[in-house]
Amino acid sequence: MTDTQIAVAAAPASRETTVKAAAADLTLVERLIMPTILIVVLLGLPWFNPGYRLLSLATSTGISTIALYGLAILVGQAGIMSVGHAALMGVGAYTGAILARDLGLNLWAAMPFAAIFSAGVAGLVGLPSLRVGGHHFVIITFAFCGLLTIVLTNGGVFTGGATGLDIGAITPLFGVNFGKLQNTYLLVACFVLASVLLTFWVMTSRYGRTLRSIRENEKLAAALGVDVNFHKIVAFMVSGAFAGVAGILQVYFLQHISPELFGAFPSVYIALMVMLGGPRMLYGPLAGALIVTFLPEVLRLDPIDARIAYGVGLIAVILLLPGGVMAGLASLYRTLRNQAVGR
Amino acid sequence: MDIFLQQLVNSLSVASVIILIGIGITLIFGLTGIINFAHGEFLMVGGMTTWLVVSNGGSFILGLVAAVLIVGLLGFVLERGLFRLTLDRPMNGFIISLGLIVVLQHVVIRFWNSYQKSIPEPLSGVWEIGGVRIIIMRAVVVLVTAIIVAITFFGISRSRYGLALRASVADQETASLMGVPVRRYVTGVFIYGSMLAGLGGALMIALFPITPFIGSSIVVRGFAVALIGGLGNVAGAVVAGLVLGLMDGLSAGYGLPEWTEAYSFALMILILLLRPHGLLGGTAGPRAV
Repeated sequence: MTDTQIAVAAAPASRETTVKAAAADLTLVERLIMPTILIVVLLGLPWFNPGYRLLSLATSTGISTIALYGLAILVGQAGIMSVGHAALMGVGAYTGAILARDLGLNLWAAMPFAAIFSAGVAGLVGLPSLRVGGHHFVIITFAFCGLLTIVLTNGGVFTGGATGLDIGAITPLFGVNFGKLQNTYLLVACFVLASVLLTFWVMTSRYGRTLRSIRENEKLAAALGVDVNFHKIVAFMVSGAFAGVAGILQVYFLQHISPELFGAFPSVYIALMVMLGGPRMLYGPLAGALIVTFLPEVLRLDPIDARIAYGVGLIAVILLLPGGVMAGLASLYRTLRNQAVGR
Repeated sequence: MDIFLQQLVNSLSVASVIILIGIGITLIFGLTGIINFAHGEFLMVGGMTTWLVVSNGGSFILGLVAAVLIVGLLGFVLERGLFRLTLDRPMNGFIISLGLIVVLQHVVIRFWNSYQKSIPEPLSGVWEIGGVRIIIMRAVVVLVTAIIVAITFFGISRSRYGLALRASVADQETASLMGVPVRRYVTGVFIYGSMLAGLGGALMIALFPITPFIGSSIVVRGFAVALIGGLGNVAGAVVAGLVLGLMDGLSAGYGLPEWTEAYSFALMILILLLRPHGLLGGTAGPRAV
């Protein structure tokens, strides 16, 4: 092993310990601030009288947030970039719609299938291509996304062609009627909370450490006995399962899907939202989704100006805060706090 | 047989545009490791520039020169202003290029709307050779591409600049120790690749109408060509571009035109899986990351 490799191997270890130490410095109260805000705002939103438009926007943002968390595990923890994530959402969405049409399965019965199918497709795409390496994988995910759009468009009656498929409303569960937008929102909010919790578990578990070891130095990880290929594929499948759940929720929320919802541009936007918020931060994907959806609303930009502002903002964030907005905020908080404590 | 030849000739012009894009991508990627997904957008900007010049009364040649210069300038500004700052972290460069797609596309839509644009055919007329009808404009596109490919190929394999360039691709550190100004080569290659994209855009709008959304389907083919041919390998890019272009043209001519794009995606995925370093072999990209 050359000197540079040893240096590379040593650097992440020290970075990890400093992060740990900084986190340990935070008091219990400080560590509970974010989760409390999250739960109160997320679950309490309908009682603030947000109005139909805002609530519907919040619901669709919540649905993409679930997929963003899946991608954040892949990018932030395993260090693998995918620009085909909308396609995996599409697999989940079409699974839901086709199972409802042909077998009469409702959302609850079809959801496990959507997650499994999306994870399975992710596995099929990842199995040969993750072996090949970083650049190739990114481009293959993009090509896969294009291929899926074409297959869905040319699928004839089975996929509904370019016009897509329609689907009924969400079946009531435990007497809760999802015809009311408020209840659909709360359902999505619960799934968002679940994704945050799952991501938290991945980040703090042994599994997360394994993924991070692959991210920091693949050869070293392999030398230490980590089955690199296996873990990369599993990480892609896990993120595919998140996308599948998001996809089936999306089809039931919109009650109509068509191929262009899952093409190249939605995929690019998903990747960009994750990078904007901060793929390695627990609240990064949520922040990315909120900024992209609600900042144009607050600033009253028309959609095209909003897109331009979004692109420029993203480039600025990547150059100035490579870790994303949340990583920037976290380090700002830590600096201010240390100054206040007087260190 | 005549129809086959006809299709062959038609697909060559499509292949030409793909080759121009692929050469730019293969050089930029091979030297800098930047996955510039906005390269397709550069082509779109080139096409739009030509459209603007021609629809304001300029000639096609003027539009073509303007497209090459403006996209070259765009490449220079973006390399110096953005991509240079991410050379040690290519993944960030890639994310920035995704952001650029959004920006470039919507700036064009903002000022010149999202409808498709076309220009009157700069050269009309058809040659008939042995029963094969060749549209002159298409022949010109193929000819221009062939000249560019020849210049690029000999520039890289014969000139001292090409030698220095290949040395930088093989090993940046050693090359710079030997006195090669690697950074300047990076900028130069980025500008050259951008200019080829601008030229590709001008030639493309001479053949078909284009929309502001054309970038993504072009860039995937460009990367397919670069990867199939082997990164940094110009000859490989030409071969791969011919294969993809011919496949596009022939599948459009012989049944199932709605699956045209699917063939190139499928072929690309297949070759990448079976021969990850490309058909003709290339560099593995810079050893960063």
